[in-house]
Amino acid sequence: MNIEDLEKEKNEGIENLPLQERRKFLKMGLTVTGIFLGGTVLSLTSASLASSQNDPETDIPAEGQYPYPKHYGMVMRQNRCIDCEKCVEACKQTNHVPTAHGAWRTAIQERLTTENGTEKREFRPVLCNHCNRPPCVRVCPTKATYKDPETGIVVMDYAKCIGCKTCMAACPYNARYFNEEKYAIDKCNFCIDTRLAEGKTETACAAACPARVRIFGNLKDKTSEIYRLLHTPDTKIWVLRPDTGALPNVFYMNA
Amino acid sequence: MNQHRITAMGLIMLAGSLFLTTNATKVTAAAPYDEDAYGPEAPIVWEKPTKVTFSHKTHTMDAGLACDSCHDELFIMESGAVLTTGKLTMAAMAEGKFCGSCHDGNTAFASNTKCASCHTDVNGLAPQDPIVWTKPVKAVIFNHKGHVEDFSLECDACHDDTFAMQKGTAEKAADFTMQALYDGKYCGKCHNGKTAFASDTRCNTCHIGVKGHNRMMGNDGAHATGSKAGH
Repeated sequence: MNIEDLEKEKNEGIENLPLQERRKFLKMGLTVTGIFLGGTVLSLTSASLASSQNDPETDIPAEGQYPYPKHYGMVMRQNRCIDCEKCVEACKQTNHVPTAHGAWRTAIQERLTTENGTEKREFRPVLCNHCNRPPCVRVCPTKATYKDPETGIVVMDYAKCIGCKTCMAACPYNARYFNEEKYAIDKCNFCIDTRLAEGKTETACAAACPARVRIFGNLKDKTSEIYRLLHTPDTKIWVLRPDTGALPNVFYMNA
Repeated sequence: MNQHRITAMGLIMLAGSLFLTTNATKVTAAAPYDEDAYGPEAPIVWEKPTKVTFSHKTHTMDAGLACDSCHDELFIMESGAVLTTGKLTMAAMAEGKFCGSCHDGNTAFASNTKCASCHTDVNGLAPQDPIVWTKPVKAVIFNHKGHVEDFSLECDACHDDTFAMQKGTAEKAADFTMQALYDGKYCGKCHNGKTAFASDTRCNTCHIGVKGHNRMMGNDGAHATGSKAGH
């Protein structure tokens, strides 16, 4: 095609392109680049073992597909959430989350709808999804954020972080914030340093929840409550933004 | 005030003894209502601030009170005069004024109980604004309107057995929890899955959360959260 003819074409833009299409396009680019670099660009993430049940609607990991020795995750029993925000308070206190600059590690989202004239409320707790294929880890230029090889928790090495905020842009869940005090990016780390290191078995948010919305545990442990909930037959389980292919480890259900 | 009561009691006893001695033969016959002795026969009806009915008969002929138990010290005899002062309120009664002088829970039933005895028209009587509890969790609402108007419940369906009329009483109780509701206490008395929807369902009908509470208190968006993601 002649370049002069192309110039006459109207630019359609990328706004209306579905995410999957864009991903396919990017993947193609990455594959090509990968060949040039020796084919290992995507293997920056240590989660090559991770896979889903090939159900694009849920992305629930298949039985036996938990790549980490202690594969931590969280189940949110969403319909039990009452937005009391005791989890938010407990998290802020335990992890010294600043009150300024939009810093947050966990939050409750609210959706208000009107049904037959009556107001309906829905609450949804959100936090870092500790994805098996974390986009934030993939984009970090200094490897300051990485998957903890023991637990699969997405953690920060504050000393390595240069504060470029690329990970903030990459995160599909907007789960990262810039910590002015540490002068580094900060995020939820399932209380790995503040509670798990002390031998506690639950995150601060899960422990504080009066309605037992948040069930934290090791997916590898077949006796754990989270394993039982996730593998209860005929339970509808979903994750947030499955279309990103990040394979999150925070699962939602109504129970 | 005590002296006043003693005088009243004395008069009752005196009247009683006179009645027994002089009218002994007439006891079985229906006593005629004497307006001079017992006050107006037709109930007094106040329209403001809300509709209230007062029966002289109940207090004088039946309970045996004398006119000067209330007039003119508590209530000016002139019809409607007390209303012009604007002081006849439930709050004043709680302080022992007006009806509250006797209706204090000792001499007669307390003024914050048995609403429907005097408030004959309960519609519009219950608080219009929702009750908001912030303990043990933030925040739970209760709408009188829905329960009284839509389900035609009387005040005494809940007051004072299940909930004290006094604001904030339930909140102070250590057992004001969901578990208590499941055990049939508080809201659980009806919200048991039979009379009304069960307490362990439809959580967010009553739980409006911190965000709902903030909105209600008019400080919407006062605190930043990470709710930018999704939804």
